[in-house]
Amino acid sequence: MTETTRTITADGVQAAADRILGAHASGTPCAPVRDLIDGADAAYAVQRRVAEVWLAGGRRLVGHKIGLTSRAVQRQLGVDTPDCGALFADMAVPDGAEIPAGAVLQPRAEAEVALVLDRDLTHERHTVADLIRATAFALPAIEVAGSRIRDWDITLVDTVADNASSGVYVLGNRPVRLADVDLRMCGMVLERRGEQVSTGTGAACLGHPLNAALWLADHLVAQGTPLRAGDTVLTGALGPMVVPAPGDVLEARIDGLGDVRVAFAEEPADEPAEEPAEEAP
Amino acid sequence: MTDVNALAAALDAAERDARPIPRLTDAADLDVPTAYAVQHAVIERRRARGERLVGVKMGFTSRAKMVQMGVDDVIWGLLTDAMPAGPDVDVSRLIHPRIEPEIAFLIGREVRSPADADAAIDGVAVGFEILDSRYDGFSFTLADVIADNASAARFGVGPWRRPRDVSNVGLLMEIDGRPVQTGSSAAILGDPVRSLRAAARLAAAAGIALEPGWVVLAGAATAAVPLPKGAHVRVTGAGLGSVEVTAR
Repeated sequence: MTETTRTITADGVQAAADRILGAHASGTPCAPVRDLIDGADAAYAVQRRVAEVWLAGGRRLVGHKIGLTSRAVQRQLGVDTPDCGALFADMAVPDGAEIPAGAVLQPRAEAEVALVLDRDLTHERHTVADLIRATAFALPAIEVAGSRIRDWDITLVDTVADNASSGVYVLGNRPVRLADVDLRMCGMVLERRGEQVSTGTGAACLGHPLNAALWLADHLVAQGTPLRAGDTVLTGALGPMVVPAPGDVLEARIDGLGDVRVAFAEEPADEPAEEPAEEAP
Repeated sequence: MTDVNALAAALDAAERDARPIPRLTDAADLDVPTAYAVQHAVIERRRARGERLVGVKMGFTSRAKMVQMGVDDVIWGLLTDAMPAGPDVDVSRLIHPRIEPEIAFLIGREVRSPADADAAIDGVAVGFEILDSRYDGFSFTLADVIADNASAARFGVGPWRRPRDVSNVGLLMEIDGRPVQTGSSAAILGDPVRSLRAAARLAAAAGIALEPGWVVLAGAATAAVPLPKGAHVRVTGAGLGSVEVTAR
């Protein structure tokens, strides 16, 4: 037993962080990190270590994403809580923009409700009233999740350490007040070339997207990094995720919130980048 | 030679006795036109007992289901006045019932072609369908399920609303107060009205009309779930209210 029991060691956390940072920097997915660390606390410690390096490198924190918000996905991973990761400014792409090939490792897309805050949420425990007062508006969003872990071979520990499998995200452009939309019953459809590839509703996200955001607010206070005015919160998928193919354009429509779309670039031409193309005369 | 009447009699008896039978295709050659002939003969037997047609139900309206069944078109079954569920439904009369959330259309005037369909809509509602395959293990081929009237058993609809866009209606199905399925009406061919147009097309092909007062169940927005005795089911559609049923 003692052979297989692992303790949370600084070495393990650093090694796991190094593995994920290496995969991010090289664009080559890495092995899972569950051999290096044990438990969700250690995984969040890895996530913080990774974020520190990215912040020191100039990335700007703009909010958080919530993952594992569907019962089906929680059952798959054998967990009963959601998880979360950090959003950085360079992850936000405008409505309709094209994501370059390779920009997200092993991309998977899902439609979500995004909340934008105009107050800090610093209590130890928040009520839904606190959250509603702190929410400036909601937006429709597509999250293109990615995994630095090879083949999405993840447990809870792996995805938490890997910044909750974050990739990039697209927000719609028309803010909607919470009073003007039913976030529990809003229908969601994600389409590719006019064909629906994922459908769902707000209730699929922990019963209500605000339930997920409440969990996040309390969780981040416990972690010492509360939600702040101006933060964006991606609350979690409203339906099954979709694996996009190069060249795809995905459009999400959320009833009462509006629509948003994202394009995926074709694979780059198979030629070495450093050789300049011959110039036309 | 496929004996359409004998096959229809077997399915009709399975339904009346609540006792499943082996798939027809295990023993008989059954193509799609013949399967619809069997379905027609089953309905004629019911009409001979005094049942009246009250609408149609559409099946295989989701991409996932079409892929699963290896088909590229919808199917339909016919609804009779023996099928509407009240606040309670007696599941002891059913074999292995499953329930799913639906969008329903109320037909206001006769529809003889797809071009008539949109203008004939008199109301829209959230609904449920209780499916009950007459085959062992709820297992069938395309021809089997067509012959079995698309597994139609019972249905219910909520309050009728004025015609409106129902292309992306959030749907929630709860059993005993707990959410069991969530989805959007967009899962029904991208927009349930396409399913209504398909019903009009199938009606035209069959040489019948969708009649004023008929209900068209456009298709399921989520997978069906088993309906055990004692379960209380509520299906809610955004902006459409809800409909409830208790399995007795």
